[in-house]
Amino acid sequence: MQASLASTRTRSQSSSSTADVIFEDAERIPNKKHPLSQYASPTPEAALKSAKLAALHARLSLPQKLPLQTMARTLVDPSADSNPNFNNAALAQLGGSIISYHVAEYLLCTYPRLPMTVLFSAAYAYNGPKTLELIARELGVETAAAPGSEVDPGLLQFSKMASGTKIDEFGASTRPDSKSFYRRGMSSRNVYDDEFGDTIPREREPYEPLSTEQAYAGFVKAVVGSLFLHAGREQAKRFVKRHILSRHLDISSLFQFKTPERELTRLCQREEFEHPVARILSETGRHSRSPVYVVGIYSGNDKLGEGAGPSLLEAKIRASVAALKAWYLYSPGNNVRVPSEMESKGAREWEPVHIDLGEVIH
Amino acid sequence: MVVQGLRKVTVGQNGVGSFILQCKRLDFHYCDWMGSSKGMNSFIANSLQKFAAAHPQIEINVSPRPRKHPVIIGHYINGREKAVCVRNLQKEQILKKAELLRDASGEKLKKVTKPVTSIKESVRGVWSPYHGGPLTV
Repeated sequence: MQASLASTRTRSQSSSSTADVIFEDAERIPNKKHPLSQYASPTPEAALKSAKLAALHARLSLPQKLPLQTMARTLVDPSADSNPNFNNAALAQLGGSIISYHVAEYLLCTYPRLPMTVLFSAAYAYNGPKTLELIARELGVETAAAPGSEVDPGLLQFSKMASGTKIDEFGASTRPDSKSFYRRGMSSRNVYDDEFGDTIPREREPYEPLSTEQAYAGFVKAVVGSLFLHAGREQAKRFVKRHILSRHLDISSLFQFKTPERELTRLCQREEFEHPVARILSETGRHSRSPVYVVGIYSGNDKLGEGAGPSLLEAKIRASVAALKAWYLYSPGNNVRVPSEMESKGAREWEPVHIDLGEVIH
Repeated sequence: MVVQGLRKVTVGQNGVGSFILQCKRLDFHYCDWMGSSKGMNSFIANSLQKFAAAHPQIEINVSPRPRKHPVIIGHYINGREKAVCVRNLQKEQILKKAELLRDASGEKLKKVTKPVTSIKESVRGVWSPYHGGPLTV
């Protein structure tokens, strides 16, 4: 099966640099140094002999069920080998969905009150392409200078973009309202856009060169996808937990408020708390060059937040931000159950997780 | 837009969740002729296989380096490398050097002055002069 597939492969791009030299008398001198192979990526047999690949497999502590041949396939980007039987496109598609599912359920169950924008950026921080690139680099994956069948199967292979290529961020997307004057609201991002709230670019040609970031991200996704196929759901989840969710992120640093006082007032109205009032808790050096005021925001007798600043207004704004963050970052605990835990055998009955009304809209 | 999200990336903490050995490759260079490689040749013949089997996550390359002293070069995930010359050493001493390279992080050596370094906030918080009762002297 493997051999018959291998024989159907062709080189995706005719690499003219390795072509044979033809002299005037039409005598063909074969280029012995770089033999022209009919394959665009290393053969599955080569995977068994690569020290780099075996070391990478061991370094990731992947189960033995995941064969080296598949591991080699996760390292071949569609831009290196356009044949879908030999590149990682399908594995990356599957793995990407699994990663974003586990990240999303972790974020939604652990921080049920996160506003949509912050949820998008938290998801981006955990499994955005930038982070996946960092993860792949920290796993010790190296890139091949250029793709080809003679390359060590332990290297990540893709067609590199030429330096100075303009990355077209706002190219054609899959959204139906592609006209620029339409407002891209938050709720439409849920429907049309990807898991980070970004527009999904239109399908590109598979052999088009791509950035290192995308190639590395494709590799991490493909590893999760191949784990799912060979070793099962639990192993794929374990990989996501160990390598993606275990990374550090201070979610409170993702917020950017525009009008925190107004938002807090609306929140108190909605939750039927008393109107928030700012009170000075302590101050020093009012007439000096560097005064400090400590202001608390109170709703009735309850202190919602506190902030310090060099002016009364700034201290009040900081206090409002602290109060809003305290509300949005409510968490039932770090060990809250997530829906995917129900898939394991003998799981106890599902208790509904806390679901919030949603963010404050004013 | 009420509140906006800022884009950041998560920070890896090696050892939390998973541990990745930082040494990814060890190159062993020897010479067949020179006396300084005697221990190295004996190490390659007798101990290297066991060492390699114990550390599957390290790629091991053995190659001759004629008319030169034997050397072990470690390549690390952060892109740096570390070389140790093992001329005239016995095979047990060479094993120690290989273990030293295996355990190294690849970072430049620097003096550690603080007992704890952390990217997390202090649990106790930072002392504030504006809180707590006034100080009576």
